[in-house]
Amino acid sequence: MKQAVASPEAGTLPGPGAEVERARIGKQWMAVIAAGVLFIGLYPIFSDDLYYQNMIILSMVFAIGAVGLNIITGYAGYVSLGQGAFLGIGAYVVALGATKVGGSPWVWIPAAGVVAGVMAAFLGVVAMRARGHSFVILTIAFLFLLQIVATNWDSLTNGTGGLTLPLPTWSVDYQNWPFYYSLMGLLGLSVLLAWWIRRNKFGMGLVAIREDEDKAATVGINTRVYKILAFAASAVFVGMAGGVYGYYLTFIDPLGMFNILLSVQIILSLLLGGRATLWGPVLGAFIVEPLNEFANNDLGGGNARLLIFGGLLALVVLFMPRGIIPTVNRWLAARGRRGKAGLVGERLDGRIELREREAPAAPAASPDAAPLLEVQGLEKRFGGVQAVDGASFSVPEGSITALIGPNGSGKTTVFNLIGGTMVQNAGQVTFGGRRIDGMTPWRRAHLGLGRTFQITRLFHEMTVLENVVAPLPSFRLGQLTADAVSGREAERAEELLEFVGMAKYRNQPCSDLSYGQQKLVELAQVLMLDPKLIMLDEPAGGINPTLIDRIGEMIRELNAQGRTFLIVEHNMPFVLGLCAPVLVLARGKTIARGTSAEIQRDPAVLDAYLGEDFRLDQPVEV
Amino acid sequence: MTEFLQALILGLLIGGVYALLASGLTLIFGVMNVINIAHGAFLILAAFLTWTIWDAAGIDPLAAILITTPLMFAFGWVLYSTTVGRIRKAPPAATVLLTFGLALVIEGLMGIIWGNTSHSVRPSYFNESFEIGELFLPKAQVYGGIVAMLVLAALYWMLTSTWLGRAIRASAVNPQGAELVGVTVGAVAAMTFAIGVASAGAGGAIASVLYPFLPGSHYQWIARLLGIIVLGGMGSLPGAAVGALALGVAETMTVTYIGPEWATAVPYVIVFAVLLLRPQGLLGSRLREDVAAA
Repeated sequence: MKQAVASPEAGTLPGPGAEVERARIGKQWMAVIAAGVLFIGLYPIFSDDLYYQNMIILSMVFAIGAVGLNIITGYAGYVSLGQGAFLGIGAYVVALGATKVGGSPWVWIPAAGVVAGVMAAFLGVVAMRARGHSFVILTIAFLFLLQIVATNWDSLTNGTGGLTLPLPTWSVDYQNWPFYYSLMGLLGLSVLLAWWIRRNKFGMGLVAIREDEDKAATVGINTRVYKILAFAASAVFVGMAGGVYGYYLTFIDPLGMFNILLSVQIILSLLLGGRATLWGPVLGAFIVEPLNEFANNDLGGGNARLLIFGGLLALVVLFMPRGIIPTVNRWLAARGRRGKAGLVGERLDGRIELREREAPAAPAASPDAAPLLEVQGLEKRFGGVQAVDGASFSVPEGSITALIGPNGSGKTTVFNLIGGTMVQNAGQVTFGGRRIDGMTPWRRAHLGLGRTFQITRLFHEMTVLENVVAPLPSFRLGQLTADAVSGREAERAEELLEFVGMAKYRNQPCSDLSYGQQKLVELAQVLMLDPKLIMLDEPAGGINPTLIDRIGEMIRELNAQGRTFLIVEHNMPFVLGLCAPVLVLARGKTIARGTSAEIQRDPAVLDAYLGEDFRLDQPVEV
Repeated sequence: MTEFLQALILGLLIGGVYALLASGLTLIFGVMNVINIAHGAFLILAAFLTWTIWDAAGIDPLAAILITTPLMFAFGWVLYSTTVGRIRKAPPAATVLLTFGLALVIEGLMGIIWGNTSHSVRPSYFNESFEIGELFLPKAQVYGGIVAMLVLAALYWMLTSTWLGRAIRASAVNPQGAELVGVTVGAVAAMTFAIGVASAGAGGAIASVLYPFLPGSHYQWIARLLGIIVLGGMGSLPGAAVGALALGVAETMTVTYIGPEWATAVPYVIVFAVLLLRPQGLLGSRLREDVAAA
């Protein structure tokens, strides 16, 4: 129950005081939730008013839909306008089962859940290639395509004529209790599932996907499996609820069951209540459905319903994008802090803790050691631009290799190709003797390839500690259900944070950190993968000189422990003092390789950096 | 063969109308990174306006374009400044949901004003056809296709040959760069949105003669237009034109050879196929992802 506020949203309360604050707000919510559950649970026993029973039944159907949607939209960041389709799928499965085959709801309702889950997983497969806008379009297409199939496949679905389900067999004294309580049970299970997902590795991976999907893949998160499972999880209970809903309605047709307004109602419930919170979708559903009933019964239905849904959707997006629960939490937290001393004293931009260290040993390997990474004939085109044009080089095991070159020479693209964030047009990459081009980014990460980004890419709504724990050095299905932050990993993460000097900030949300601090956290994050090769994209870019020296020290220390580095950097004193060998990239080709001294004298390098004008201006005295 | 030729020509004619409508949608996406789900609702609104003008004053629906286009332009401008413009920089999900909300509100208002019954605009030539050999080409479709092409040509001319057009294209390719050379991207975005809505105004007037419509028809239309821009490559104007012609032909072929009840499924099948096989669409290209960030 405490998880009700342990959403990323609540995580933005800073400082140690936040724990106390969070617990206090948590208690307040818990009381509200307990009262709500008790009221809903006992309502049919104390009142035989069928109007309100019906309203609660429908609210629960939409709440189940919204709690499911929350898994992909709230946690994983994929907005769907087709969630209502799973209610329709569930209803059609039970209707077809009950009328064409016969048998008990105990068979068909679970079957509805399975079919919905499988279809959702299929949507997840398509969604591997469609993000953002494309995905929203896809979900609309999914919903309407199902509607057309249900309309046109007369022989199976009876088309627009619809299907009639068998009437309930229980005594009328029980009114709609069996529907009521089975939906309540399903809603409880949905919330439980959402809670459980959020607190284990799986949920953490989903949040990482929401925050930055490409980055998530480079820290070893198998985004493909995560997404497919998330989609399935978002639909199973919704399909079952759709089944119960079908029995409850006793008549279903394509226009009613695959109506986009069902999806609108679900997503509106989620947004209004608060996405990525545990109870937000439930709260939202219990607000929106009564409004829907009001529009239907007192305002003449149809058009009034459209105005209310559309208007509310627009208003929520414009004025309360976080939804009710997070907004109330902020307000409560602000009120709780009023009159007290400011936030915990420490200035966030304060000095990084430096620990006394022994002087690092000399680089562990000579530049001529066996190559750990080999790149051959790598090519990448963007439209007409040949960003990488046959780059070939190798990184000796145990070295600190630099990759330098003028702006636009293709360094970052080479990194993206090696890391798997982009796919090359030609060429091959070998890592530790294995071909890795063609592998997914997470496979490469699992083999021991870690990278940072030029502009730091952390998961902003997670804390520093969560960011460091998020990477996964391997992938097993069982690992998904492990605690998000388990004891051993947390210890290791603490050690790494200690190493980069950021331990003090472990519970800060990453969005509050300065740029230099973010670089340090990103380094700790990569180290969590226990990588053999660490690729740093401009580790010294945009940070102060003291910190640059500190990062240089850390690189030497890690190198002494046997880790190989490949570093892209423009800060020449830093590169030349730290790295050997140095590779030079120009116009997408590797044009030179050598020690710092050799590179500085190489005419091709001078030409690449300074251009032909420079050479023409030189006095000709050969 | 005649059947095939007939389907092909009718498909291309209707495709011309789709091209005009999809251009506005893809233009708005290109400049603002907003999928305007309300585009279908805008065009149905224009169709209702055309119906009222035709019904009350007897003005030919294709001539009514001269009235609906500026009206819709103004409407687009007002909507932009009151709603869409406020969240121009919000995440994509927010703008999709906002425009979807707007579409529902417009649908509800149209239902209140014109009722939820099917309307169609029937000028004098509605039931006449050109007969060329064995081909029967309905006059409404021929005129509609021609007018759509003319408006589309004017739009292309505006985008390629005027300062505003260059500013719009510059904002689409690189907003920061456009700011730096003196383009007020915010104002250009407002202009683009209004032009996009105006093109739905012109297209809606033409569509009112071609298909019967009711407030709820906008779902069908937005699906069709989304299918087109996904097929052509989102944000690409030539892509929208090619995608529109392809969809027009695919629809008439489906009607002719599979059955009219499956024609509505064509855009959805296209969306699935394109996103699975070639997510960037026919003419879209994948760009260097880090350009904007670097």
